[in-house]
Amino acid sequence: MLLEARNVSKAFGTFLAVAGADLCVEEGEMIGLIGPNGAGKSTFFNCLAGETMPTAGRIVFDGVDVTRALPEARARAGIGRTFQVPTAFEDMTVLGNVMVGAFLRHPHRSDARDHARRIVELTGLRADQAARSLGTPGRKRLEIARVLATQPRLLLLDESLAGLTPSELRDAIALVRRIHEMGITIVIVEHIMEVIMSLTKRVLVFNQGHVIASGTPEQVVREEAVIEAYLGRGHRRRQEEADGRA
Amino acid sequence: MVFVQVIVGGLLLGAIYALFSSGLTLIWGMMNFINFAHGEFVMLGMYVALLVVTWVGGGPAIFSIAAALALFVLGVGIYVSLIRHVIRAPMLAQILSTFGLALLLRYSAFWVFSANFVSLPQTSLGGTIKLGGIFLPVAQLVAGAVAITLTLGLHFTLTYTTVGSKLLAVAEDRAAAMLMGIRPDRMQALAWGLSAGAAGIAGALMATAYPWSPSVGETFGLIAFVVVALGGFGSVLGSLYAGLIIGLIQAASAFWLGAIYKDIVVYGLFVALLWLRPQGLMGKA
Amino acid sequence: MRKFSSPRVGVLLLAAGLLLYPMLFTGPFYRDIGVTFLLAAISASAWNIVGGYAGQVSVGHSMFFGLGAYTPLLVYTLWGWPPIAGIPLGIVLSLALAVLIGLPTFRLTGHYFSMATIAVAELIRIFFGTWDLVGAAIGLQGPAVARSFWDLTFRGELPYYYIFLAVLGILLLVTATLERRRFGFYMRAIKASERAAKSLGVPVRGTKIKALALSAAFTSAAGSLYVIKTGFIDPDSGFGILISVQMVIVAALGGAGTLFGPLVGALILIPLQSATNSWFGGGGSGLTYILYGGIIVVIARFEPGGLFEMWQRVAPKLRKRFWSRAHAA
Repeated sequence: MLLEARNVSKAFGTFLAVAGADLCVEEGEMIGLIGPNGAGKSTFFNCLAGETMPTAGRIVFDGVDVTRALPEARARAGIGRTFQVPTAFEDMTVLGNVMVGAFLRHPHRSDARDHARRIVELTGLRADQAARSLGTPGRKRLEIARVLATQPRLLLLDESLAGLTPSELRDAIALVRRIHEMGITIVIVEHIMEVIMSLTKRVLVFNQGHVIASGTPEQVVREEAVIEAYLGRGHRRRQEEADGRA
Repeated sequence: MVFVQVIVGGLLLGAIYALFSSGLTLIWGMMNFINFAHGEFVMLGMYVALLVVTWVGGGPAIFSIAAALALFVLGVGIYVSLIRHVIRAPMLAQILSTFGLALLLRYSAFWVFSANFVSLPQTSLGGTIKLGGIFLPVAQLVAGAVAITLTLGLHFTLTYTTVGSKLLAVAEDRAAAMLMGIRPDRMQALAWGLSAGAAGIAGALMATAYPWSPSVGETFGLIAFVVVALGGFGSVLGSLYAGLIIGLIQAASAFWLGAIYKDIVVYGLFVALLWLRPQGLMGKA
Repeated sequence: MRKFSSPRVGVLLLAAGLLLYPMLFTGPFYRDIGVTFLLAAISASAWNIVGGYAGQVSVGHSMFFGLGAYTPLLVYTLWGWPPIAGIPLGIVLSLALAVLIGLPTFRLTGHYFSMATIAVAELIRIFFGTWDLVGAAIGLQGPAVARSFWDLTFRGELPYYYIFLAVLGILLLVTATLERRRFGFYMRAIKASERAAKSLGVPVRGTKIKALALSAAFTSAAGSLYVIKTGFIDPDSGFGILISVQMVIVAALGGAGTLFGPLVGALILIPLQSATNSWFGGGGSGLTYILYGGIIVVIARFEPGGLFEMWQRVAPKLRKRFWSRAHAA
């Protein structure tokens, strides 16, 4: 077991954003977290990444309890993450951005630069381009390249593919596949069903803080609770009415 | 009896600290922004009072309101022309904007008004009264009472009125407030107006009871930092309590240790607070 | 052709200019400006490490400058040592103070650090004004006549000029080296986005404290240099807020977070300051600070990157216009 999250809860005052969520990830898996807006998947994701501390529960990574570990410590342990809204280091070049990540395992500048160059090449970016001149797809790519340079064993992707055009999306999905084939375990939060369907073999569906379903993508999309959570009761009623008329 | 006199004097000054500090905490709470020129706003309020008394005449009510209005307008103007443009800029620009403003206002005041201490001519609040064995200047008593009333007024306005809840909504979540039809930009301009206005009227109240020079702005700015740090960033009620406490500590340390130590004790308290309880006494852990 | 326009040539020209300046301008007025310029450049370059590169804006750096300025005269007054013996003491005290301020405030957002720096600087200024050991409000005086070479009390400005220039050179060399290493990358990452830096395993608090400590040590050395030259210190000339203001404005004007930004800032501001002082006479200092305040506001509002960034943006356009015009002719 690479990552084991047990009974993780996060309360903001009296509001329970995540209520006792469980997640077990085996080495080499690629798992999707889906759910409607405000379902708690992002909060759960942030608990895994160390951005917020869970109010209850336990997170174990590679046999070590990381429940209270800071983001820096998690990065060192081998948990990498991207941000929903890309946060490039604007004043640096693409290579400089990636080198910041590379320095984690390569303290010397020349080693870090060589490592970063390989990553930049892998992700199809241009090393000497200024980060501030990148567009959305480039920024999302840079975000992935930077964290990849820290050589994570587990990669947490937070809507890294949102806001892309269909052709950009195809490239991005190919990149995620390539990273997965390198042997990196991936947990991916995504809005777009198609992305999850094509990438993952197992998904967790969140609604109102609870995990309401899990299984293969094909299984969960057929579950009543999931349809209801995603499309609302109104949709089901309309569907039934349509069925009734037919 | 002297002891009681010291305590009451400290609390009355502390009430004015509370009033101008509530303006600083309002801005911090609304937009996570520290105004390094806040003490200069207080100082300008004092000079507005002086100018109104010399050129127009009129009693404390007139010049206090004039100071509040003048600083309200200045606050809104500074927000629109400067703060609005740096709020999303890097930290350096944010801090430099009001820090530079503080220097500009402070040294302009030195240039225009000179470094000499001045005080208001005798107002209708002259003289002292004897209250339960202690002597109190009427001006101090009135200024302190008005300051407490205004600070509480600001607190209740924020808590119970529509404008107040709109301001708090912007502070809570800018994007959500916009969806509710609130214009964050207007609310933030209003907050800057209120903040500077509170500083201005606090200055005018202080001018009725104490002499001053342009250098007081620096001191009051730092005192406002300490009050806000003690009361919790963003809490008006917190700065009321903290203002009174700081006034008390200052008066007590001036009395027992000597006048030059009163600021050392207060700034020392600030450093201690940063170490022990950075979220302030009233702030959430 | 391309080789000659490389930045290396610019640096060499600058170094040559600084080395030759006192030979070309021999009058005491010009040499005094030269020394003042170097001191401003050293202080601002030291501030630049934490304020510019790491983006943690100190507005109370005079606390380190003042400590560095007091200790040489303190060891002289107390034990009769040559003032330079007090330099290490100043650096040690400044390092301790840097850690004392950095540890609690660097857990919080950048505003706390800025507020703490200005409050601590003011606290120390007032405290030194009441402390008899350091001469209270009157301050301390150095040796009037050199007892030996090690008192470093020279008659002309020239020796000071070259000592200061050497220190500036060392400081820039250290900064340039760190800029290219992991530490430099980490500082700039923190400045750009603390959240992203943390997610990549950057030890944010430790890096900030290191940056502040290094900056404090050099600022302290700048204070020591100042006092060894003037031979006199009091609370205002050591810890006054205007000392901090000058470091911030010089660095920000030229370009905070760039190697030569503080140098450029000092190159513009110090002659300007000396000009306003001589135009307006004794009353000029007030106007100088009004001007300072105005410049700071304008930088913050329009060019947070300073002249350096503005030049980088404008220069290519100018060059293009120049070449097209040359072509037409």
